Parts: sequence; structure tokens; C-alpha cells
Amino acid sequence: MNLALLSMLLPLATALLLLALRSRSALLVILSSALALGAGSGALFQVVDGGSETLLLGGWDSPLAIRFHLTPVTGMLLAFTALIHFLVAIYAARSRHSQTRHSDYWPLSCLLHGSLAALWLSRDLFNWYVTLELLGLISVALVALAGPKAYRAALRYLLLSLMASLCYLLGVALLYGQYGVLDVGLLAEVTQADHTTSAALMLMTLGLMLKAALWPLHLWLPPAHAGAPTAVSALLSALVVKGPLFILWLLWSQAAPAEIGQQAGFLMAVAGVLALLSGGWSAMRTPYIKTLVAYSTVAQLGYALMALGLLLFWQIPELHVALWLFVLAHGLAKLSMFLAAGEMQATLGSRRLTSLKGATQTVPVAMFAFAVAGGSLIGLPPSGGFLAKWVLLQPLFLEPSHWPWAVGVLLGTLASAVYVFRVVSLAFDRAEPMGPNYRPDRFAQWLTMLPALLVWGMALVSEPLIEWLTGVTRVSA
Amino acid sequence: MSLSLFYLCVGTTLWLLGLHGMLRQSHVLRRIIAVNIMGGGVFTVMVALAIRSDPVDPVLQALVVTGLVVAVSATAFALRLASSEAVAQREKQQEEAPR
Amino acid sequence: MNPTIAAMLPPAIVLTSLIPGLLIFALREDQYRLRTQLNMAGVFLKLALVGLMLYGVNQGLSFRFALPFLPGGELILHADAMSLQFVALSSVLWLATTIYAIGYLEGAPLRSRFFGYFSLCVSATVGLALAGNLVTFLLFYELLTLATFPLVVHRGTAGAMRAGRIYLAYTLGGGTLLLMGVALLHALTGSPEFVPGGYLAPLVDSHRAGLILAFVLLVAGLGVKAALIPMHGWLPTAMVAPAPVSALLHAVAVVKAGAFGIMRVVYDVYGVEPMQLLQLTQPLLWLAAATIMYGSIKALQQQELKKRLAYSTVSQVSYITLGVALLGPVAAVGGMVHLVHQGLMKITLFFCAGNFAETLHVHRIRQMNGLGKRMPFTMAAFTVGALGMIGVPPIAGFISKWYLGSGALEVDQGWVIVILVIAGLLNAAYFLPLVYRGWFMRAPETWPGDAKLGGGIPGRRETHWMLLWPTVFTAVLSLLAGILAGTDLSPLAWAQLIVQREFGL
Repeated sequence: MNLALLSMLLPLATALLLLALRSRSALLVILSSALALGAGSGALFQVVDGGSETLLLGGWDSPLAIRFHLTPVTGMLLAFTALIHFLVAIYAARSRHSQTRHSDYWPLSCLLHGSLAALWLSRDLFNWYVTLELLGLISVALVALAGPKAYRAALRYLLLSLMASLCYLLGVALLYGQYGVLDVGLLAEVTQADHTTSAALMLMTLGLMLKAALWPLHLWLPPAHAGAPTAVSALLSALVVKGPLFILWLLWSQAAPAEIGQQAGFLMAVAGVLALLSGGWSAMRTPYIKTLVAYSTVAQLGYALMALGLLLFWQIPELHVALWLFVLAHGLAKLSMFLAAGEMQATLGSRRLTSLKGATQTVPVAMFAFAVAGGSLIGLPPSGGFLAKWVLLQPLFLEPSHWPWAVGVLLGTLASAVYVFRVVSLAFDRAEPMGPNYRPDRFAQWLTMLPALLVWGMALVSEPLIEWLTGVTRVSA
Repeated sequence: MSLSLFYLCVGTTLWLLGLHGMLRQSHVLRRIIAVNIMGGGVFTVMVALAIRSDPVDPVLQALVVTGLVVAVSATAFALRLASSEAVAQREKQQEEAPR
Repeated sequence: MNPTIAAMLPPAIVLTSLIPGLLIFALREDQYRLRTQLNMAGVFLKLALVGLMLYGVNQGLSFRFALPFLPGGELILHADAMSLQFVALSSVLWLATTIYAIGYLEGAPLRSRFFGYFSLCVSATVGLALAGNLVTFLLFYELLTLATFPLVVHRGTAGAMRAGRIYLAYTLGGGTLLLMGVALLHALTGSPEFVPGGYLAPLVDSHRAGLILAFVLLVAGLGVKAALIPMHGWLPTAMVAPAPVSALLHAVAVVKAGAFGIMRVVYDVYGVEPMQLLQLTQPLLWLAAATIMYGSIKALQQQELKKRLAYSTVSQVSYITLGVALLGPVAAVGGMVHLVHQGLMKITLFFCAGNFAETLHVHRIRQMNGLGKRMPFTMAAFTVGALGMIGVPPIAGFISKWYLGSGALEVDQGWVIVILVIAGLLNAAYFLPLVYRGWFMRAPETWPGDAKLGGGIPGRRETHWMLLWPTVFTAVLSLLAGILAGTDLSPLAWAQLIVQREFGL
């Protein structure tokens, strides 16, 4: 537990230090995220060896206490968050095209890291509200770093985020009024399938879905993610939207009564399929590079929502594994894709897709990274995206009555293939390639490749990873 | 009608009013106010739930206080962002005007 | 042979083209010699390893390499008789195509990229041939799609881009269907290793609907690459690719991957008896027969040489599917041997078409008059290929058709003979005029163009030597495959070995 706390407190302390010293030192941030990564991995190993641990903050006893709970999934997410933050920090410090050097990006990204870590550790409805609110405010501030042209998207994001938090908070108040507890574990023992509980859960779910940009509440995401500085887009897409998803997962798979869960699960799964289709459709049609990537986030979150929904609908534990594999694979692939997209956009000097004509010659490495990461989004074997899709598909094929859901996955796969190869085929077009505006930055391009290679590298540990996740999600959920 | 139920209704109504404002209003200031009304609604509901017991439930009070802090800072941030956006808009218009 | 070495041999065969391919990506454009050396070293090393393995499998040794991948589905590379036939074919033809491509692309831009993907493409083909279960097969099948796309669009022109997009739309769509089919079977039984006779027999009663749906998905996915109608649309448009790529697509890698996959699914996944119990053979047979007729008729209508060859591929590859779908041992020999024979003959024809186009800018059929005088060697190779396709003895194609015909009689499907005869006549109708034009009609005053390759003297110097000798080489091989069919070294003998093992004779 100490290591987990360290992984949360290190970035927070760094943020405060940077603010206090009025320093914008990138090196310090890289160092602290690397240490947090070490601490997070250590916590993961500890929890795998020694089992879950609980910490009651301030020494209060339940039900008054705020509980931190370190489970294997939490450990994994702590390490994952630190890894992504570490990679993005190197990019933000090193790339000539990053708009974040010497800006407020550094303390803000550390705060973001710390709040996310707190979110993964918390098991308390109100504490989650606080971390969600923090995440929202920091994300908005990060989006606004892109300058006046991003203010409008940032403001919209902020207001929707506040509205979502208040939806969530009203749900929390209703649940507390009904049962008198806020801790998820305690709540799980007492909830009953009555109207108040349904209403509360619905309010909380709506709020969380809005925050996670799950269809149909996703419309704020593309302008905000596409307008932000590249490093910020990567952080937001790879990490921030996963926070509310985590809460949704715990809320429904633990605290909610199974009867309500089944009905809601069906609706969520349908929304997931629609997200796949509508996100994919928009990504196929948009003329801008980063907007395409942002819509692909909307579509890919559809898989996660589908896994969660079907998990509740059929009560099949394998789908926990699918959900978390999607989170990991999507996080890494999207990180690579956003960084590559940003790097290409900055090098070629245009936000439009058409500027990517002949990109295999002008920015070969970044383009290759984009394609490799895209392969994982499509689910080409043996990438991480493939593993997740494979685990999701298995229960869908077990019974003929489940088959229609597989059609949703099929269409989603085809849509993702279309939008990824829409970019890739442009890159092979040798007719009038766009000349680069700037000298291409080799190091930054190779850096964008790293997460893409990591997501394909998941194949090397696929079998133990799937088996481990099957074990831990069943026990600790 | 008990006092708690009365405030519960008031709170819910405020929350719904705020939600309606958020969805229907387009001016930034109005939307910020709408969010604050929603927040007020939620806090009223919480207080109404708190006074059902004697002594008053301290957890809910603590939550309301924390929530107020969060709401105030969020509002401040929103106002700052809105004014920056307005300035940016005006500058953009002034740039375009002479042409 | 030492067991560790035996286990490392299958991955080594894949790596002999993968590693040079990756190294080539890193080379500068002007490092011509190093690139050629890398290519040729990979080619010969692979051939040596394949030779070793052929010997071993003939002796009954097993070569198996496995890595953990998915629960219930390892990554398995193993060599059995069926996979080796395809591996040997692709390795030999890779040799010819590499030399041809070096000559063909001399002085062209972006050669490092081309040869890099070219090697990846061969690695994927070999991996797919050695794949030991459906999951591994799927992996290499998708990799093959990715590796061939850059080759199809290599020229980067508007036409090439259009062809590339059509190619991707078909093959990725097919790949997704295949993924669904494999996942469906995996959900039912996991992905055990391919075994002669299949492993699905115990499920026929309990999961009838699932097995039928899986078969439809698998055949639809594989049928895209095997160019079964109505999934054949990409093949004729992909003609805009450079000639070595067309040769690779049509003779070695892509269409063969589809046909080989159908063989695997029918014999080693479903097995003969479940196929009959599930009543899946007749539809597949009709589909193959329809494709044969359709391809032949369309080929007859084409005025462009490469297009005619492309539709001829659509028709000829379906002979393999036909042989598989007949489900008898004799027909199976016909289908399997045709995999090799069609590869040898079709690659010869595409090399010839490439030679005509590069040397004299002859693209259309009416420009072929009198080519035999100007380019006798190439025209002779073309004649061997064309006559072989029609089924004239003693060229390879005759052997395949003979076995297919007697195989059809063996399983009482006499109507297939009618199809074979009509298709043979159609073949003659679309190939013989070309041969006639080439040898017996008068050459024009001036050719559409003359690239002055090689020296321009009819005979040994009629074109660049790197274009000429691979063509002659494959033509001779297709002749030898027919003439020496009775010996132990021929593809026919090997196909009989496969069938003995598959049918447990």
C-alpha cells in the first residue's frame, strides 16, 4: 500500500513543488513520473504476491472512513497511468512541435496523474466525486493551453463536465439518503432493487457516461481532444476518459443489484454498438487528422461499454478481462496515434488529412507508428486490440442467441479498418506529396512508435496476461 | 408535509431548473448560473436528507461543505475562462472589422 | 536430426525472408549491391532450409515450433506434407520473382521500400503455409494483406491508389470474416492443431448451426483471396501493380493463400465426413464450378493482356477449390497438384506479359502480332504457359486436369467433367489466338515503343537478362513438372503423399 500511495503522492508533490518554485522544469516531471512508475509497478507486484490491501484514511472506522483499496486492477492502472504520463512527458519535453514547453502543462499534468491515481485507489462514492471534479477541471485547463482558439471547446467541456458531476452527485445523495453509506463495498451488501436505487444509479451513470464520452453523450469530446495540444490530447484520450469508466465498472459490477444491472447492461451494450458505428462513421468522414483520431476514441470506447453492458446482461466473468484489455490496448494505441498525428500535423503544417499525401516519404516513422497503432485499433492479430476483441468475441459465439452482437463487433471492425486505412492509403499516394514545413524531428517520431510497439508486444505475454486478468477480476472486481 | 420532504422537493426542482437552463440557454454566463443552480439544488437535497435524523447527520454536512468548495472554485475557473474567451472573440472581431 | 534444431527450422524459414526484409527497409536508396546481396542471401538460405525440411518430412520427421499466445490457441508453426508443398512452391518462385523484380525495377525510385515489403510478403506466405492451427493461420493471413497493400500501390498513381483501395476493401473485409469464423470455432473447441481428418467431428450433432456458420464465414473470408465469385472483384483491378507484384499476387502469395486455406479448412479442420454430414460440399462445388466458367468467359472478353491473364487466374485457381470440394482422394491429388502447376504456369505468363510491356511497350492483345520473331524465348515460354493452362500434354496443366476429371468420376459427379471440358475449350479460345498472333502473324513496322533492354537482338539478348532467365526457368519447370510427373521428385508424387496422409490410405 505504501508504494501505491507513493505512486499517487509523488506527482502531487511534484506539482506543488513546481507551483511553489514557479518552475516549469520538464526534467523534474519526467523524473517524478519515472519514480511513480517504479512505485506503481512495485505496488502491482506486491498486490499480486500478497493480495489486496485496504487503508482507512485518517484512522476513522467505517462507515465514516474514506477507504483506499489496492487491488490487482488498481495496481495495474497505477503503473499504466505512470507509464503513459512518463512517455507523454518525454514527448512533451523533447518534441520541437510540442506546444507545451515552458508552459503550465507540467504542473497540470502532474496534478492530473495524482488525481487519477487517487481515483483508482478510492472506493468511496463521494471521494470519486472529488477526484472526478479535479480531473475535469485539470483537463479543461490543459485543453485551454492550446491558446484562445481552444477556449470555446474548453468552456463547453467545462460546463458539460460540471453538469455531469452534479448529475452524479445527486445520485450519490439519493443513495446515501436511502442506505446511509458511501463505501462501495458496504453499499454492495445493502442495495435493493427499488425505484430510488434505480433512479440514483441512472443519474450517476448518465453523469459518468457524459464524462467518459460514451455514446450518445460524446459530442463534446472531438472538439476538445482535437483542439488540445498534442501531448494533452494523448493524455486525455489514453487516460482521462478511463477514469469514469472505472467508476462505472465498480458501481455496476459490485454495488448495483443484479436485476437493475441486467436491464441497464442491455441498454449499455446497445449504446456501445451504436458508439462503434456512429464514432466510426464520423471518423470516416472528417477532413481533419486529429478529429479523426478523436472520433476513433468515441468508437473504441464503444467496445468497452459493450463489454461492460454484456457483462452485466449475461453475468459472464470473462468480459471483465475484455474490458480491461480494451482499456490497456486502447490507451497505448491511442497514445501512439495522437502523438503521431500531432507530429505529422506539425511537420506538414496543416490540420487536414489531405496534407498526408505521400507521408510515407515525408514523415515515414510517424506514419508507420500511426499505421501500427491503427492496426491494434482494428484488431489485427497479434496486437493488444486483437486480444481484447478476441476475448470479447468468445462468449458472443457460445450460443446462437448471442450471435447478433457479433455483427456489431464485425461492423465496428470494418469501420475502424476504413478510417485507419483512409489515412494509410493517402500516405502511399505519390501524386503531388506535400513538402514538410519544418525539418522532420526523427527522435520525436521514434518516440511515437514506442507505445505502438508496446501494444503489439502485449502478444508476447498474452496468455499469462489473459489468465492473470481472468483470475484477478473474478476475485477482486 | 415534513420539513425534510419540502426541502427535498425544493432541491429537486432547483436541480431540474438548472438542468433545463443548461440545456436550453446558449449564453455562457447564463449557463454558468444554471450550473450553480443545479449545484444549489443538489446541496439542498443533501441538507434535506441530513435533517431527517437527530442530531443532524454530520457526514452529509461535511459533504455539502466540500461540495461548496469545489463548486466555488469551479465557478471561478469557468468565469475566468469565459472572460478570456470573450476577450479573444472581441480581438478576433476587431481584426476582421477593418478588412 | 537434433530435436531442438528440428523445432527451430520452421521459424527459421520464416525469418530468412523477414530479417532481410526489415534490414532492407533501413537501407538507403543507392545501396543497390547490399540490397541485392541481402535479398539473394535470404532466398538461397531459405531454399536450403526448405530442402532440408523436404527431406526430413519425406522421412517422416516432424518439425514443430510452438509459443503460448491465447488460452486454447498457441502460435504453432509446423511442417507437414501439405504445408511443405506450398512452402517449396513459394520459395522457388520467390527466387525467380526476386531476380525478375531486381531487373524490372532497375533505376526505379523507392526500391528499398518495395523489396522490404516484398520480403515481408513472402514471409507471411511461408508463415501461413507453416501455420499449425487456425489462430496462427489467421495471424499470417492478415499480415499478408498488410504486406501486399504497399506493393499494389507501389507506383502511387491515381490508378494504383484506386486499385489499392479496392484491394484493401476486399481483403480486409475478408480478413474480418475470417477472424469471425476462427473466433467462432475457437469459442466452440479452442484452436487445436490441424489434423488430417479434422477435429470437429465430435461437435457435428451438438453445434450444427455454429459449424455451418463458421464454414460460411471461413470460406467467405478465404474466398476473397482465392477470388471465388462474387468476391473476385479486386483481382482484375489489382493489375495496375508492377509485373513482379502481379506475378506474386496471382501465382504465389495471395490467391494461393486463399486456396490453401480452403484446403486446410476442408481437410484438417472439418474433415471429409463432417463436411458431408453438414452438407457443405455441394454449395462449395457449385461455387467453384461457377467461378471457373465465369472467369473463363470474362477472360475471353478482355482486350488487355494482363486483364485476360487476371480473369484466367480467377478461373484457374478455382480448379483447386473444385478438387478440394469433390472430397475424393483422386480429385484431391488433382487440386493439390494444381496449386503448384497453376503457380508455375501463371507466373511464367505474367513474367512474359511483363517482358512484352517493359521491352516493347506491348500491353494490348492486338499489339502482339509477330512477337515471336522479335522475342522468341519469351514467346516460347508464353506458349508453354498458355498450352499448359489449356491442358495440352505433356505440360503440367494436363496432369492436374486429368486427375480432377478422374476424381470427379470416382465420386460420381460426372457433370464436373462437362465443366472441365467447356472450361478447357474456353481456355483454348482465349489463349490460342495470342499464341497464333505471336508466331504466325506479321510484325508491325514499328513496335509501340522500344526500351532497348538487353541489346534488342532476338534470342539471348532480346531483353534484360534478369527479365528473361526467370521466365525461361519457370517455363522449363512447368514442362518438367508434366514430363517427370511419374517420378518421385515431381509435385504429383508429393501431392499423392499428402493425400495418402490426409485420407489415411
